[in-house]
Amino acid sequence: MDSAGSNRYTDQELIDQLRQSGTDKRRSEEQLFNRFVYFIREGMTKHALSEDESFNAYSDTILAALDNINKEHFEARASIKTYLYQIFHNKCVDLLRKRTTNKNTVHRAETISDRLMQLSDSARSIVQTLIDKADWNRLREKLNALEEMCRQILLFWGDNYSDKEIASFLQYKTADVVKTSRLRCLERLRKLYKTE
Amino acid sequence: MDNLDYIENYFTNTPGTDLTREFEERIKSDPGFAEEVAFYLAAQEVSKEASGLEKKQRFKETYQKNRVVRSVPIKKLIYYIATAAVVSGLIFGTYTFLRPVSPQQLAVQYEKEQLQSLPVTMSGHSDSLQTGLRLYNDEKFSEALAQFENILRSDSSVFTAKKYAGISALRLKEYDRALSYFEEMATRQGLYSNPAQILQAVTLMERNKPGDAAKAKQLLQDIVSNDLEGKEYAEKWLKKW
Repeated sequence: MDSAGSNRYTDQELIDQLRQSGTDKRRSEEQLFNRFVYFIREGMTKHALSEDESFNAYSDTILAALDNINKEHFEARASIKTYLYQIFHNKCVDLLRKRTTNKNTVHRAETISDRLMQLSDSARSIVQTLIDKADWNRLREKLNALEEMCRQILLFWGDNYSDKEIASFLQYKTADVVKTSRLRCLERLRKLYKTE
Repeated sequence: MDNLDYIENYFTNTPGTDLTREFEERIKSDPGFAEEVAFYLAAQEVSKEASGLEKKQRFKETYQKNRVVRSVPIKKLIYYIATAAVVSGLIFGTYTFLRPVSPQQLAVQYEKEQLQSLPVTMSGHSDSLQTGLRLYNDEKFSEALAQFENILRSDSSVFTAKKYAGISALRLKEYDRALSYFEEMATRQGLYSNPAQILQAVTLMERNKPGDAAKAKQLLQDIVSNDLEGKEYAEKWLKKW
């Protein structure tokens, strides 16, 4: 997967590929990463970040952009390069600020709030309180302790793949079988999380 | 599980007024149900986060693979390099074409370029896989192999542990052991990236028993025709074979 290869595509072609499903989508994610990988060096020279910090800022940039492209929040009013550079620049500044103030930003609420907004204020506040009380580290740890196939299914689900796509990746017969397995895995995760 | 299905239907479909009312009433009146809703959302978030970490790891591997090429200063040196490349290319090319390279040399070269060190997560998070990777990068291949095999004993399906166990065995020149891991990896479907075949080819090329070169060549041809991981190496090597 070379960066040169990804330069052959126009912005729109790359976006279309990123919005399609299956293995080609994952390949396109890597192409997007390779295409502007030189930002890492810019993070090092312009913002005086270490290579690891700049790599983190750049890969977080790609992850944020992928999320926005998938949710169709990216409207292509600017080129992908300009769009990515803006996110990357902000992430570098965030890192520098964090370095000087030692403050961590919590990004978690953003995704959950999309879902929570479906609920009325009173119901939302109950669920929000419970989410705030959740032991995130324990949940992460228990997710990693699941058997590999379960973990994979949940990771694909977390990455917004449909059950149909998961079925083709993991060679399940149908999307319905994936859904049943996925809910069983979630139930197993819940039990692990609840039991000491 | 019924509740989780019900919760998922609420969040993924557009619920009607009745369902919305019923769903919200349950949240307010049934603390256990409200907790399940919170768990569902938190689990999805943690899964998303874990998936993002895996992607970052993949990006890291790609980045490290191409890093040497990228670290060369480009703009100022490009003309000097181009000139030097033409001249040295003519000399070196003639020399290279006249001098055959053995599959064993190619395999050793691959090891130097790709397997010298393995990517360790930068989060500082310590787990058994990361410990194995650190041991490997400190060239403590026996200890690293033991660590990866330890992980596999508790869960034989951990793909990355299998891959790293195979690579550690290869570095220890325990070719049969390495091949058994890479062969198991090759049976794993549905992965975005699976270097099983290129690693099998490299192991066979390095072991160099009678028949190994032919098997390795077949694997390389499969890699090229199926556009698998390691295609650039396979194409390059097949030209020299």
